[in-house]
Amino acid sequence: MTEHDHDHERTIAPMVDEVTDFEVLEIALRELCIEKGIFTAEEHRRFTEFAEQIGPAPAAHLVARAWLDPDFKALALAEPMTASKEVGVDWLEPTGFGTPSDFTAFEILEDTPELHHVIVCALCSCYPRPILGNSPEWYRTPNYRRRLVRWPRQVLAEFGLNLSDDIAIRVQDSNQKHRFMVMPVRPEGTDGWDEDQLAAIVTRDCLIGVALPKPGVTSNVITDTRPAVHPVDGRNT
Amino acid sequence: FHGDGSRIERNDHHIRAVGKGDPQVFAGRAGEPGFRTGDPVVVRDMPALLYTRTPEYVRGATGEIASVAYESPAAEDETWDRPDAQPEWFYVVRFRLSDLWCGYAGPATDTLQTELPERWLEPAA
Repeated sequence: MTEHDHDHERTIAPMVDEVTDFEVLEIALRELCIEKGIFTAEEHRRFTEFAEQIGPAPAAHLVARAWLDPDFKALALAEPMTASKEVGVDWLEPTGFGTPSDFTAFEILEDTPELHHVIVCALCSCYPRPILGNSPEWYRTPNYRRRLVRWPRQVLAEFGLNLSDDIAIRVQDSNQKHRFMVMPVRPEGTDGWDEDQLAAIVTRDCLIGVALPKPGVTSNVITDTRPAVHPVDGRNT
Repeated sequence: FHGDGSRIERNDHHIRAVGKGDPQVFAGRAGEPGFRTGDPVVVRDMPALLYTRTPEYVRGATGEIASVAYESPAAEDETWDRPDAQPEWFYVVRFRLSDLWCGYAGPATDTLQTELPERWLEPAA
């Protein structure tokens, strides 16, 4: 066999070097469920597509529209799922009764100059996925879940949000079927802005409550993490 | 039967809830709510062997009803798929953080809200 017997250019390389245990189990579980009729392959595809198209943009537009239109704001606070439809989110999708894990009991928490809300799910990672997309990784960590309910001001300070003592903090633990989202106060310096301009500064983090919208800031918080202390070798690396 | 979920018994709940949503599918089945917005309540300290959704940090604490939320079977029953689970009223309950945590350092106006089914609540004295 010579080196010209096959075409290196056309050799298909594997996408990944190895398949993880998690992937093996995922395939086993999915194929068994389909085989036994627990769900169909078509249903699995539809849920995957649903999970891939959700994101925080509808929630940001809901807030921006509420800032611009007092009637819409009143609707958003009184009937949040009706208001969600106006930004393209039907909470009854994708099954006709909502998603099995997010339910259909959505509520919007309105901040005021004297009150700031922040959400958490101390029991797991409950999050208003249909309108806000998938939860950030840090939101699911035991660290955030354990500390936010006890030391909210310190946790918010780590996100760069330092609130004075004359602003009350209200932590909302989503431990049952309600899902919550924060409607922040419209910031100064946004006079005359249209819905798209306003929606651009309402980031996912603002809707969770770990950040406040700010003109010029259109991306999520990047925190300065302190380096870990390693007492064993005495290094601060 | 292969690949067909129509005869899977546990899909019944989903079929009942289509067009309504969950918890709306349980509306009207819990009777009159035992508490109203503003009522002071104490969280009971009930046994929670194997499963509960009432956080340990509110057991025995006094708060007030922030809103009457919806009707639903309690998670403690739903999680075992109990067929006879009776829907009950759920409430968003507001606590002062200084009442929950010994030595809370923030201002007295800081609060926490969590949601609890009626079985976990009793009127505050």
